[in-house]
This record gives sequence, C-alpha cells and structure tokens, in this order.
Amino acid sequence: MRFEPNDSQATFAGVLGQMLAAPQAGFQAVPDWGRFDYGDRLDRQLAENGFFDAATEDDLGPVAAALMVHNVARAAVCVECAASALVRPFLGREVPRPLAVVVDDAPGAIRYLPQARGLVSITADAVHYADLPEGAVTRVDSLYAYPMGTVDRAALDWQRLDADPARLRALWQVAVAAELAGLLGAGTEAVIEHVSQRHQFGQPLGAFQGIQHRLATAAVEIDGARLQALRAAQSGGIGDAAAALGYAQGIATRIGYDLHQFMGAMGMTLEHPLHRWTYRARLLRADMGGSAASYLAYADARWGAA
Amino acid sequence: MDFTWTEEDAAYRARIRAFLERELPDTWPDIARHGPGSAEQTAFSLDFCPKLAEAGLLIPHWPEEWGGAARPAWEHFILGEELWRAGEPRGAQYMNVNWIGPVLMKYGSPEQKARYLPEMAQGRAIWCQGFSEPNAGSDLASLRTRAVRDGADYVINGQKIWTSYAALAGTCFLLAQTGDAGGGRSGIAIFLVPMDTPGIEVRAIPSLIGHGDIHEVFFTDVRVPASARVGEEGEGWAIISYGLANERVGIPRYEMASHELDRMVAELKARGQFGDSVVRSRAAAAGAACEAARLQVYRVVDGRARNLAPGSDSNLARVAVVTAEHAVTDFGMDFLPDCFSGTDHPSFLSHHERAIVTGIAAGAAEIQLNLVARRHLNLPKGA
Repeated sequence: MRFEPNDSQATFAGVLGQMLAAPQAGFQAVPDWGRFDYGDRLDRQLAENGFFDAATEDDLGPVAAALMVHNVARAAVCVECAASALVRPFLGREVPRPLAVVVDDAPGAIRYLPQARGLVSITADAVHYADLPEGAVTRVDSLYAYPMGTVDRAALDWQRLDADPARLRALWQVAVAAELAGLLGAGTEAVIEHVSQRHQFGQPLGAFQGIQHRLATAAVEIDGARLQALRAAQSGGIGDAAAALGYAQGIATRIGYDLHQFMGAMGMTLEHPLHRWTYRARLLRADMGGSAASYLAYADARWGAA
Repeated sequence: MDFTWTEEDAAYRARIRAFLERELPDTWPDIARHGPGSAEQTAFSLDFCPKLAEAGLLIPHWPEEWGGAARPAWEHFILGEELWRAGEPRGAQYMNVNWIGPVLMKYGSPEQKARYLPEMAQGRAIWCQGFSEPNAGSDLASLRTRAVRDGADYVINGQKIWTSYAALAGTCFLLAQTGDAGGGRSGIAIFLVPMDTPGIEVRAIPSLIGHGDIHEVFFTDVRVPASARVGEEGEGWAIISYGLANERVGIPRYEMASHELDRMVAELKARGQFGDSVVRSRAAAAGAACEAARLQVYRVVDGRARNLAPGSDSNLARVAVVTAEHAVTDFGMDFLPDCFSGTDHPSFLSHHERAIVTGIAAGAAEIQLNLVARRHLNLPKGA
C-alpha cells in the first residue's frame, strides 16, 4: 500500500502539470459566449508526447492514466482524454483519436463526437468500433460544457473487437469517475478563491462556518471519489469501478449546487469559468444510468444475486 | 501508487483472523454487546489480551526493549482493523498499546516506564484518559483542573467528565493546569494517577453507548508525588499532541461498519429481501462510503509508515469515517428495523450504539471540518 507516486508517475504528473498550467489550458471567453472551449493545442501536446499511451506502460499504468484524466478535467478548456487514456489502449487494435464512447446504446447526443474520429460501443456482451466518416456527425447545441453531437449509428460500419466488454465497461467507469472527481475539485477551487476574496458583512464569505463546513464536506467527498477511482484503475475490479463511479455521481449533484450557491450571481455568468466544470459534471453524473445504476452494478459485484 | 497488499501483509491478516476465529468464544457477541467500558468487556479483555500478548499480537509494533517486535506501522494498523472488525476484544486496552504506551516510551521517566509498560505489554492494564471537563470538551485547552505543587507532591483539584473506563481503570492519564486556571495550552501538564488514590470519586453516567462507558471523575485534594508527572510542567500539550498523532485516524470504525453491512446484506438475503433495487443501491452506497473512508484512512497510515509529519489528511479521514458509519447504520435501520428493536442481533446493536459516538469522540466532526477548511482548503479566518 503506497499512496506516493513512483518516480515515473511523479515525472509524468509534473510534465502534465506544466502543460495544464500554460495559458492555452486556461479560461478564455469563447466567441458568442459558447459553453465550451476545446483545447486543440493541449490535445496536440498530449498526443505528440505520448501521454495517451500511459496506461500500457509498465512504470505508469492505468493509475497514471486515471490521474491524467482527473488532472486534464481540471482545465478550463476541455480535451477528449478519458476514452483515449483508459479505453483506447485496451481495445486490442489501433484506432484513431479523439475517440467517443457510447454504453448500452444510450440514446441522445454523445460528448466529443464532433471532434472524434471513431466511436466505441460497449454493450453487455460485446465491444464494437466504427470510424466516423467526414460529415457523419451532426453538432448539437447543448447546455453541457462539452462539444456534443449525434450520428446515425445504424449507418456506421461497425467492427466487433476482441475485447472483454466487462473490462472495457469498468475502464470507462473509472475514466468517468476520475473525470468527475477532477471537475468537482477544480470547481471547488474556483469557488474557494472567490469566497476567500469576496467580503460581505465585514469578512470574507469563506470565513463563515456555514460555508466552510459545506466546502470542507465537499473536499472530503471529492477526495474519496478520486482515491476510489485511482484504486479501481489499478485493481481493474468490476466492483471497484462501479463503486467509484456511483460514489462520484452520488456526490456531484449537491456539490454542484453548493458551488453555484457560494459563487452567487457571478456563478451564473459565462464570464466566470465555474460552469465549465459544473456543467460537464452535470452530464457525467447521469452517465451510464447515474449513481443508482452504478451502485446496482457494485451491489452485483460485491454481494451477487439476491 | 500501489493500492494492493503485500503477500506478507495478507498473510499477517490471515493469521490474525485465524487466531480470532479460534480464540474468541461463541459468547463474545453478547459480551461485546455490553460496550467496551462495561464490567463484562473489561473482565474479558483482561483474560483475552494476555492471550494476544502470548501470540505476539498485542504490541507487535512496540520496540523489542519493551516486549514488542518492532513491526512496521502497516502491521499495527492491520491488527487494529481485524480486532475492530471482530468487535474490539481488547476493550479499553487498545488505548494502551496504540498511544499511552508509546507516549511513556518517549516522555516517561525510567521509573514510569518500568512501572507501567510491562503490565501494558502483558495485557493486564486498564487506563482511562482524564481529558474532557464540563467546560473543556472540543476546546480542550481551556481545561481548569489544577495541580498545585506542594513540596515533593502535587495536589490536584478539579473535575473530569465523559471519562471512558474510569470505574474499572487502574490508572488515569490526567491533564491538569499547573499554573493559573485558564492558563491555556502552555500551562498543561500530564500526571499518571492511580485511580485508588484518596480523593478520587468516580460516578458512572447512564448513557446510550453501554453501561459503564462514560463517567464523571472528581479530584478533591488528590495528592500525587512529583514523580507522577510526565515530562515538564507546560509540556503537556506537546506530549498529548504526540500521543494523538499516533492515533491520527482513531480506530478503524469503517472496518466494523463494512463488516456489519455484509452481515446486514446476508440477513436480507436470508429473508429474500435483497432483490429490491432500492435496497441493493442503498447497500452499495453505504459500502462505497466505507471504501472511501478506508482509502482516506490508509493514506494517513501510509504517511505514518513513511514518517511524514501529520497533515490535514487525518481530518479528511475522520470526517469520511463518520459519514460511512452513519450510512451503514441508516441502511440497517431502514431495511432491518426489527433487528434494532429487540436484542436478537447483538452485533447490529453494538455497531448501532457505537456509531452514534463516531462524530463526537476523539475530536468532534465539526472540529474536523473546521480543520479541513483551514488546513486543507486554506479558507480564511473570521473577523
């Protein structure tokens, strides 16, 4: 049991941190007040430097990949990272990226589809992949701070992959859990900065115990979500992955509410980046059936049938 | 990062579990039901802890000089997990081996070490901690019990409250002010006071957590020799901080909670009531809360094993453990209400009764949240 990253993981995280601290990963208003800002430069940097291959490197492994998903989610720009870091390396064949994922053929728009060059479909008994031909994807305007799109799935040229669907599902659950923990953590940090500077009633908002305790509770829960996602990344356990996702999804609603509450009217604007994290979190909290479905999967894995 | 156990750790855990399965009697759940401060559990611990000592499972982390085997911090923690999972058959003695003994090793005089450590190592010592007072609970530094120097002695006057195990303890680890009352942290000293010293009166407080568990202790002109003082006057706060750093995460309550959750699920399965998706989802939510707490506690133990200075991780862990305990208790009460209305399920009742203490004992949950806010989030102080 060791919570300290090994040397390779620490170096990996350090270089990643430098990329994420660069201005191109930060918040900038988008023309016409668009809800998201796709980080093309960050995406290229990560790809060119092999960051999306971390999961299959001995000294890094899925833990480093999950940590990367978590940390990239903390950026104000968004980059397709979860599928590339934790699903793509385990598909059993080379596929291009950015990559989009759909589970159990869930209806509706899919995140990152407008950028994606391929779509992975995970169902109970199989994993399929299809290239996304030029012009196949229709962009969708969405509340959520992701690029979203739809595609005529029946028209795609699906190929069945030689991959374990249960394992791929677990990897995707880990990826979404890690991303969600990163989003909630970054949103919390933005709110902490605000309540530390904003004075009302003669003191910073963040000095009021009513606010402190709710932010502290959120911090405890986000930390618990992050650790569960990292452990599940290493163990590859179906139960660990479902528990991690259920837990992250379970805490997301109240924390998201609190973050906007403490930001006040400023948090309702598109001039402040809070929505970049909270509105991505809103989508992920309902992914794969949401917390209840994730918890049912955990119950199945831990206790078996009734 | 590595979230797996070594083969050595797993074998050690298996050895403890086998020992407990072999040595704990069938009557243990009913004994445990009486609470760790009860006469029943205390008598049991005085019989059971010598067996643990003989098997090398009482103080494995202590240095060899004092009867231990200088085993790593992780083994000590695994031992605590397994014993707490089994209902904590050490009773009050967990305090001796976890922190009172280590404090005496570091700060005690040669005479104090020789007098107290061997009987702790043998599993024959019951201690109580004289910390809280009527006006000094979470705000411990404002304690008012005074120890006044009188020649070669100190004369102690004051009152302690919520003192666990006091009625049956042989010795009290007492915090008192040696300067003016209200002297704060800088005036605190520690005394080791035999509980049969004239002038000590113990009154049990009827409580929700088991008969004999909490007490008031009155000190009226209690005379102890200066040799009963640990360290110097004014050094008490530093000493107790060191001692409690050994207990950064307290007892591994999430382990008992997780174990009880498994038992609750087994009971629901036996009744054919674990098919409902609401029940299954709620059980899983409680289970995930336990796992979150487990990992947050493990990180603290990892820090201790690597000799890192205590930080805010322990405050996060304490809050997570409270949440997990409550999630499991609520699950049981919601879906197995009859198990909590009678006495047919002693382990559920034991867990239920202890869970209510989780957020209060050893540093209230709200204090932990204050510390998370200040230390971990760097939120500002009020005007």
